[in-house]
Amino acid sequence: MNTFVGRLRGLPSVQVTLAGALLVLGFLIAAQIAAEGPRNRYSTEERSPLIETALGLQAQQEALKSEIVGLRTRIGDLEAQDPGAADSLRRLYRDLEDARVRAGLIAVTGRGLAFRLEDGTQGGGLDALVTARDVRTLVEELWLAGAEGIAVNGERMVGTSAILDIGGSILANSAYLSPPYTVTAIGPSDLYDRLRASVAFVAFVQGRIEPSGLHLSVAELDSVDLPAFAGTVNLRYATPVASTAP
Amino acid sequence: MKLKLGTNRLTVTAVAGLLGILVVGQLRGQAGVPGLSNLTVTELTQLIANVTAGNDQLRDEVVDLTRQEAKLTEARDRGETTVGELAADLARIRAWAGLTAVSGQGIAITVNGAIAGAGIEEILNELRNAGAEAIAVDGIRVVAGVVVAGEPGGLSVANSALGDAFEIRAIGSPQILTGTLTRTGGVIAQVTATYPDVRLSVTPVDAMTLAATDLDLGPTNASPRL
Repeated sequence: MNTFVGRLRGLPSVQVTLAGALLVLGFLIAAQIAAEGPRNRYSTEERSPLIETALGLQAQQEALKSEIVGLRTRIGDLEAQDPGAADSLRRLYRDLEDARVRAGLIAVTGRGLAFRLEDGTQGGGLDALVTARDVRTLVEELWLAGAEGIAVNGERMVGTSAILDIGGSILANSAYLSPPYTVTAIGPSDLYDRLRASVAFVAFVQGRIEPSGLHLSVAELDSVDLPAFAGTVNLRYATPVASTAP
Repeated sequence: MKLKLGTNRLTVTAVAGLLGILVVGQLRGQAGVPGLSNLTVTELTQLIANVTAGNDQLRDEVVDLTRQEAKLTEARDRGETTVGELAADLARIRAWAGLTAVSGQGIAITVNGAIAGAGIEEILNELRNAGAEAIAVDGIRVVAGVVVAGEPGGLSVANSALGDAFEIRAIGSPQILTGTLTRTGGVIAQVTATYPDVRLSVTPVDAMTLAATDLDLGPTNASPRL
């Protein structure tokens, strides 16, 4: 024991200071990792190539969606240039344009709302994270209030849109979206009043948003732009039934 | 002025400098991939599988649209009309959007018992995720804007009341739809755990027809940005 104390006393003060500093640093790093909460659970080297792969796939998806929107625009232009544009053809063009607007395949603009849905403060646990269900609830309430078009972080919501949880983030239309989430909607001028009058929306705010510490803010805007849906409209299993209408 | 720095002090300075560089590098690296750096290995794998499947569908769409564009360009260059191409495109878009009736194979989910609209929406969300191309609830086509809402015993869809027994029908791959819904821990298991009084059964259907929506999906407040 005396030998150990003697050797300790013999150490230069700088080495003791360095050892103490490193000890404190180690403790602080461990405490920081422990306090970062459920969004940062793993940090292993195998994640790096997966993150790179995911980023590469997201970039590919962006490029494919841009290509689809571009192709649809060019196809629309080509159809409009058809040299044999008789009355029947013009009607067909109009019907096509109308169907594309109704299907959400064309970008639209109009008066509406923009919601921002954010995680709660750290320390709130899993309840303080925005989930796919929260985003879906907001989207559903907006539809019920009379919204004509909705987008989540720039992803247009259509009849085939699914919103899923991936860890603490979401997938919408197969696109990876990370918080905060911006939900934009076009609708009647009283869209927000209708929403606030909804018992289910009030229950969502009072029973989920407020107790969990989530942040929900809204702005009423004179002009909201919604992008076109850039996903697939191919049908592999469904076949259109010939119309019996005259 | 003389600098009398010992080896130890130089070591401390070098270590601190290196540590600083590493910390800044790590912070910048994490800032560059918002959200992704917070996912676990399992979640990242799940994400990659989902995005890969989505990208495959998008590639198919690009191939179809490119073919369509080429046909239209060819027809225009020859001075021909493209009625057939336009009519096929119109039929496909209208069917996809729910504006016309569609037929095909798929599944039927019978719902018996008290369940909230949120529970049915969970099932519809999973059907969409599994690739359902058309869905109807109690015969009412589910299109953009149609939501099953209400508390147990008071459900409604598109302003029509739903009883405690009704059917959800979806067109798509019966195997994929059934497998996705009924897997262990899947949406059927989750919903029945949340609503223990409800009974759900999933049955493959060889052929069904889902009616077109009655709703007018034309915008009155939104203007196309052509």
